[in-house]
Amino acid sequence: MSELQFLDDLTLRSRVEERELIGRVLAGDPTAERTLYDAHVDRVFRLVYRMAGDLDRAQDYTQETFIRAFSRLAEFRGEAALSTWLGSIAISVTLNGLRKLRRRNEREVALEDGMPVGRFSSPADPDLKSRLAQAIDDLPDGYRAVFVMHDVEGYTHEEIGTSLGVHPGTSKAQLFRARARLREALADFAKD
Amino acid sequence: MDDRFDDLLRDAAREYNQPPETPREEMWARIVAERATEEKEKSEKSAGGVIPIRRLQHLRHFRPLALAAGIAALLAIGIGLGRLTVPPPTSTPAPAAVASETPRVNSAAYRVVTTEHLSQSEAFLTLFRASLRQPGNERLASATARQLLATNRLLLDSPAATDARTRLLLQDLELVLAEIAQLSPQPRSRDLELITEGLEQGGVLSRLRTAVPAGASATQGAL
Repeated sequence: MSELQFLDDLTLRSRVEERELIGRVLAGDPTAERTLYDAHVDRVFRLVYRMAGDLDRAQDYTQETFIRAFSRLAEFRGEAALSTWLGSIAISVTLNGLRKLRRRNEREVALEDGMPVGRFSSPADPDLKSRLAQAIDDLPDGYRAVFVMHDVEGYTHEEIGTSLGVHPGTSKAQLFRARARLREALADFAKD
Repeated sequence: MDDRFDDLLRDAAREYNQPPETPREEMWARIVAERATEEKEKSEKSAGGVIPIRRLQHLRHFRPLALAAGIAALLAIGIGLGRLTVPPPTSTPAPAAVASETPRVNSAAYRVVTTEHLSQSEAFLTLFRASLRQPGNERLASATARQLLATNRLLLDSPAATDARTRLLLQDLELVLAEIAQLSPQPRSRDLELITEGLEQGGVLSRLRTAVPAGASATQGAL
C-alpha cells in the first residue's frame, strides 16, 4: 500500500469514526459528548486564545463554541471535517465577542476622557516580538483571523476559507495583505 | 529579503498570545451546567411556562421584515440557481454510464443571474464608496455585503462558472465584499482605506461596470 493510499484510508476511517461519534452524541450519549469535546477542545481553545489574548475571554468563547456546536450538531452535514466546522463556530463566536467588547470599551473610554483605545496590547517597545504582537493586534479582524489561523496555528487556506465563509483564494489574498501590513509596521526591523 | 523577513515574522508570530494549557475540566463543567440550564428552560417553555427574560433580550434587535426579506432573497437565488443549472428530470431514466458525466449547465441562465449580481454589487460598491465620508452606515453596509457575498459564493461554486474572466472578477469581488462584511460598526479609517485601496488597485468597480451591459439595472436596490 502506498503512503498516499494509507493516508486516504486513514482519513476515511477517521471520517467514519467521526460520523459514528456524532450519531452517538445525537442519540444522547453523554460519554460520546465528552469524547467529542476531548478530541477538539485543545485546537479550539488554542485558536480562540490566540485571537482573544486573555484566559477568561478564551474560556468563555470556547465554552460558547461547544454549547453552540452541541445544539446544532444535527445540522452538521459532514461536507467539511468536524474540526473545520468547529473552527468556523469558534472564529465567529470570538470575532463577535471581541467586537462587542471593543464597542463597550470605546463607549467607556469616550465617556471618560477620549483616550485612544488599544486592543489587548502592551505598550510598544523595541523588541521585535512585542512590536509584532502590537502590529498583529492592530490588523483588521479579518486579516488577523487569517494570519493567526495560517501563520500561527497552521490551518490550510481551504480550512480558513470554510471557517470564514470565503474562497481559499480570498484567504490567500488576505494573508498576503496582512503580511504586507506587518512588514510595513516593522519596516525598521526589515532594514537591519 | 521579503522571504527572509516573512520567515522571521512567522517565527516571532508563533509566540503571539501563546496559549496556556487548556483548562478542559473547568470548561467542561461550565458547558454541562449551561446546557442543563438551557434544557430546563426549553422544557419549561414547551410546558407552557414563561420565557426567561435573558432569552427575550435577544429579541430586542429582531427585525422580522428585514430578516424575512434577506432569507427570501437568499432562498430565491439559491433555488433559482439550482433550477437554472440542473437539467429537468426526463421521463426515461438515464443509462448508468451517464452518471459519471459532469452535470449539464444552462450557461445562458447563469449569465443572466451573474449579470444581475454584478449589477447589484456595482450599485452597492458605488454607494458604499460615496458614503465613506458619512459614517453611520457601516452596519447596513456590512449586512448587505454579507448577502452579496453569499450569492457571490453560489455563483463561484456553480458548475456553469467556466468563464475565466468572470471567475476572476467574482474572486476579486469576494475579497472586497468580505472586507466590508467584516467591518466593525465604528471602523478605523485604516480599515476603510484598505477597502478603498482594494477597490482601486484591482479596478474592481471599473471591471464591474464593464461586465454589466448598459441598461442592466439592479432591480433590487442594494443599499
